[in-house]
Amino acid sequence: MTMVKALNSALDNAMERDDSVILLGEDVGTDGGVFRVTDGLLNKYGKERVMDTPLAELGIIGFGIGMAMEGLKAIPEIQFQDFLYTGMDQIINQMAKLRYRTNGDYTVPMVLRTPYAGGVHGGPYHSQSGEAYFTHTQGLTVVTPSTPYDAKGLLLSSIELDDPVIFLEPKRSYFIKGEVPEDYYKIDLRKANVLKEGDDLTVITYGPSVPLVQNTVKKNNVNAEIIDLRTLNPFDINTILTSVKKTGRVLIVHEAPKMFGVGAELAATIAEKAIDYLSAPILRVTGLDIPVPFALEDYYVPNERRIMEAVNKLLNYQ
Amino acid sequence: MIEKTDISKEDLLNAYRNLVMERFLDKKMLNASKQGFLPFYIPLMGHEAIHIGIGLAIRNNDFFYPYYRDFGAVIEMGIPLDMALSQVFATENDNALGRSMPDHFSFKKYNIGAVITPVAGHLTAATGIAYAYRYRKKEGSIITTFGDGATSTPDFHVAMNFAGVYNLPMVFFCENNQFAISVPTYPTENGAFDQTYMETRGDIYKKAEAYGFKGIRIDGTDFVEVYRQTRKALENAKNGPVLIEAMSYRMGPHSTADDPNKYRTNTVPEGSAKDPLIASQKTMKDMDILDDGMIKSINDEMDKKTTELVNKYEREPKPDKHTMLDNLYEEEPWYISEERGDVQ
Ligand SMILES: Cc1ncc(C[n+]2csc(CCOP(=O)(O)OP(=O)(O)O)c2C)c(N)n1
Ligand SMILES: [Mg+2]
Repeated sequence: MTMVKALNSALDNAMERDDSVILLGEDVGTDGGVFRVTDGLLNKYGKERVMDTPLAELGIIGFGIGMAMEGLKAIPEIQFQDFLYTGMDQIINQMAKLRYRTNGDYTVPMVLRTPYAGGVHGGPYHSQSGEAYFTHTQGLTVVTPSTPYDAKGLLLSSIELDDPVIFLEPKRSYFIKGEVPEDYYKIDLRKANVLKEGDDLTVITYGPSVPLVQNTVKKNNVNAEIIDLRTLNPFDINTILTSVKKTGRVLIVHEAPKMFGVGAELAATIAEKAIDYLSAPILRVTGLDIPVPFALEDYYVPNERRIMEAVNKLLNYQ
Repeated sequence: MIEKTDISKEDLLNAYRNLVMERFLDKKMLNASKQGFLPFYIPLMGHEAIHIGIGLAIRNNDFFYPYYRDFGAVIEMGIPLDMALSQVFATENDNALGRSMPDHFSFKKYNIGAVITPVAGHLTAATGIAYAYRYRKKEGSIITTFGDGATSTPDFHVAMNFAGVYNLPMVFFCENNQFAISVPTYPTENGAFDQTYMETRGDIYKKAEAYGFKGIRIDGTDFVEVYRQTRKALENAKNGPVLIEAMSYRMGPHSTADDPNKYRTNTVPEGSAKDPLIASQKTMKDMDILDDGMIKSINDEMDKKTTELVNKYEREPKPDKHTMLDNLYEEEPWYISEERGDVQ
């Protein structure tokens, strides 16, 4: 099934098991969400559990936080990650900090789902990759799946967590297909996924860039180890270091801009903990450091050519 | 219809005693901050009648999401003084381990939400709590408080709209002390403020109408009146939300970080008719619950008691520094474990 169907199946499983799970967001009810992730759920669970909301991201997020404070499991959908920013205060100042500032008196078991990154030629306001805003906020767990199977398992694990999760869905991968069990299953949120073993270099990537990296490595016969982070914060340091110590060469690929991004933190951490094992500089292939341009999006995102240039530079580095 | 008499004279007298205690404690806590025992403090003077009236109106089933200037409401609800003062003085016994500024209470077991510093940052959460109450068919209503300045925020308008759309069982309670920090709430003509602009031109209580429910304006200087209106609103909230605008006056500075003489002439000096302590005394006397002798003896008692309390709490030990990295996540991430080495 597609990633959209896998997410729908996860929500369905979770709602069936637990009547405290409630979906809310713009057009999630009758319309089933603009990407149809919540399709059919209104009919099955009713408008008290699949709530169309007024057009106010601040309200959707704050409302979800309140439900979570009272023991419900709110799963708000923000139509596009680009539109979440009016609720950013709630995310940073309330959702992320509540457990800490009350020393656990209140927790926020809530999963904020939102499609992010490019792939639909949406211009500056339907294509943003804002993950670094969330990974730099203490208290948030930031998860991003790359396959339909992971989308369902990671979403179900996120729903079970007693902490707030920013669940970033790569919209460019919404309609890729894969095997997905109908039944309930979970995936460890604190473990990265080694998608392919290899010896010559480690490629660390996640979410929307995973298929590109896999295809590029395969097509060009690169003996690379590919790590899909799955969770960006807290990321799985052990899997990364084990691989880096084996290969000694590291490439990081993500669609978000480079400056001050997730790649920077990964590179710094690897340098701090394993620089003696490295035989080449850590390289990054990322989106360009500009807003996403409507007509020229294809030149903005990482591509096979840029990845292979970096791979060759790393492999030839003396 | 709720009459003044639906609360026993004994409870009203107790409420009055709490009001006096709040007045004395406030002065002494402000003083403690001047002496360096509290790095920051938010004065309460002028809000006491609102606090006590709300505290009296909230019943066990109700949920209270306060803002940062609600000390007396929490006390009147019956929260142990030790819990409240441990929080204010950020001692090792604070249930939140001294992580927030004074008056930022979080008492889940008493149905009290976690006070947040960003103005109005709790209002949308209050709507979600109200929804959860209805969804779980819980008894009781939600009441959330905020200042007049808070009504300029997007949070206020979004929360009011959500409450209207879902017809939530909640009371929005605006403690109008007539200014935010230095900016007055409304246009003023009498020169009481050194005014350039204001928070709003339209009456706050009327804003409810645009969101499809009722708003009322009440006198916030008499705690019996605040009690009656708030209790009525909490009971009516089962049928939908209500907005209350309670008029009072911030008699002191906004916080320990400003000097109000710079921006206003004090129109409600201590001891004047609009001082909530005096207004509440008058009501209590009219109800034959209080006389001058009692006023004097309660004052003496509370003066002594609050001195002892403040002396005690300003000397209580602070939380152990090693607790500071606890409870960020359900399961501690590797980098927090590493940073434990940085706290020596
Ligand atoms: C979002 C936000 N902006 C600014 C501040 C700084 N600030 C703290 S209190 C305050 C005035 C609030 O006035 P009001 O809502 O009337 O409440 P009052 O303090 O008068 O009780 C301001 C500007 C803040 N805490 N949060
Ligand atoms: Mg004010």
